[in-house]
Amino acid sequence: MDVEGLKAIGAALAIGLGAIGPGVGIGIIGGKAMEAMGRNPEAAGNIRTNMILAIVFAESVAIYALVVAMLLKFV
Amino acid sequence: MLKKLLTVRNLVILLLAIALFVISGLLGLKVPPPEVALAAEPIFHIGSFVVSNALLTTWIVTIILIVVAFITTRRYPKDLTAAKNSELVPSGFGNFIEWVVEGLYGFAEGVAGKWVSKFFPIVMTIFLFIVVSNWIGLIPGVGTIGFLEHPHGDKAGFVANGAFLTAQESHTAGEGFILAPFLRAPSTDLNFTVALALVAVFMAQYFGVKAQKLGYFKKFVDFSGFKQNIGMGILYVIVGVLEAISEVARIISFSFRLFGNIFAGEILLGVLAFLIPFFVTMPFYGLELFIGFIQGFVFFMLALVFFSLATMGHGEEEHH
Repeated sequence: MDVEGLKAIGAALAIGLGAIGPGVGIGIIGGKAMEAMGRNPEAAGNIRTNMILAIVFAESVAIYALVVAMLLKFV
Repeated sequence: MLKKLLTVRNLVILLLAIALFVISGLLGLKVPPPEVALAAEPIFHIGSFVVSNALLTTWIVTIILIVVAFITTRRYPKDLTAAKNSELVPSGFGNFIEWVVEGLYGFAEGVAGKWVSKFFPIVMTIFLFIVVSNWIGLIPGVGTIGFLEHPHGDKAGFVANGAFLTAQESHTAGEGFILAPFLRAPSTDLNFTVALALVAVFMAQYFGVKAQKLGYFKKFVDFSGFKQNIGMGILYVIVGVLEAISEVARIISFSFRLFGNIFAGEILLGVLAFLIPFFVTMPFYGLELFIGFIQGFVFFMLALVFFSLATMGHGEEEHH
C-alpha cells in the first residue's frame, strides 16, 4: 500500500474512532438534561445553558480528532 | 410569522439571489474547489516582519473593537458621581453593548465572587475579541478575494480567466495559479489561538501569585506530606508534578479547541457550498454564527474558572 492510502486510512480512523466517545458523551448529556427539564420545567433555561456548555466540552474532543485527521489529510 | 416575512422587499432579495445563482451557472463561472491552507499566507512585509492575512484581519478586528468602545463610551460624562441620571441613560447601540457587558458581568460575578473586578476586564476583552474574530470570517469576501499566486512546491494550480480563477486545472507542475486571500478569520490561524491561550494561562499564574503570594507555588512543589509519612510525601510531590503538567495542557486544549472549531467550520462551509450551493449552506451559516459565539463564551468561562481556581489555596477550600 502506498503512503497516500495509509494516510487516508489513518485520517478516517482518527476521526471515526475519535467521534465515538464525544458522541456517547453528548447523548448522555442531552438525555440527562431532558430528564432534568422534565422533572423541573422552571429551571429549563438554566439547564439548557449548562447543557450547551457541557456539550461544547464533549464536542471539543471530537474536534481534536478532526484536527488530527485534517493534519493527516492535508499537510 | 411566515406572513410577516413574505414582504415585497424579501421576495426581491430572494429572486435576486436566485438570479445571481442561475446567471453564474450559465456564464460558466466555475471556481476551483476550496483549498485547505493550514498556515496563513504572508501578504506583505514591513522590513523583515511578515504580515500574514490572519494578522491583518486581527488588526482590523482590533480597530473595530476600539471604535465600538469609543462610540459607546464617548457620551458618558467625565465625572460619574456628579452626573445627572438623564446623562447616564444609554440609548441605541450603547444600550446594546451595555446589555452584553452587564449580562456577562453578572455571570462572572457568580463565578469569581470578590475578584470579579480584577478578572472581568481581561476575560471580557478576550470574549469580544474572539467572537468578532470568529464572525469576521463569515463575511462573504473574506477568504475568497485575494492575490493570484503560483502554487508552492510541485502542485499544479488552476487556469485564471482574467481576475477569476476557473475550475480548470493546469497540468504542468508549478504553473497556473492559486488564491492567497487578503483576509482570513484570525481564529483559523494557530498563532492567534496559542497567543490567547498563553495570555489566559499566564494571567492565571499572575492572579495566583497575587492572591496567595509565594504560597501559590506550593501547588507545584509540595513537601508537606513528608511530615505524615514517606508515602504521603512522595504522593504529594507527584501530585505537584501533575498540576504543573495540567497547566501546560491547558494551553494546548485552549488553543486547539478554538482553532479546531472555527477552522473545521470554515472547511464545512466551503465543502457544503460545493455539494449543494446556497440553500444548504444557509442553515450552516447560522450554525457557524452560533458556534463562533459559543466558543468565545467557552473561552471566557474557562479563563474565569481557572483564574478563580488559582486564587483559591488549598487551605482556604477546607474552611468552606
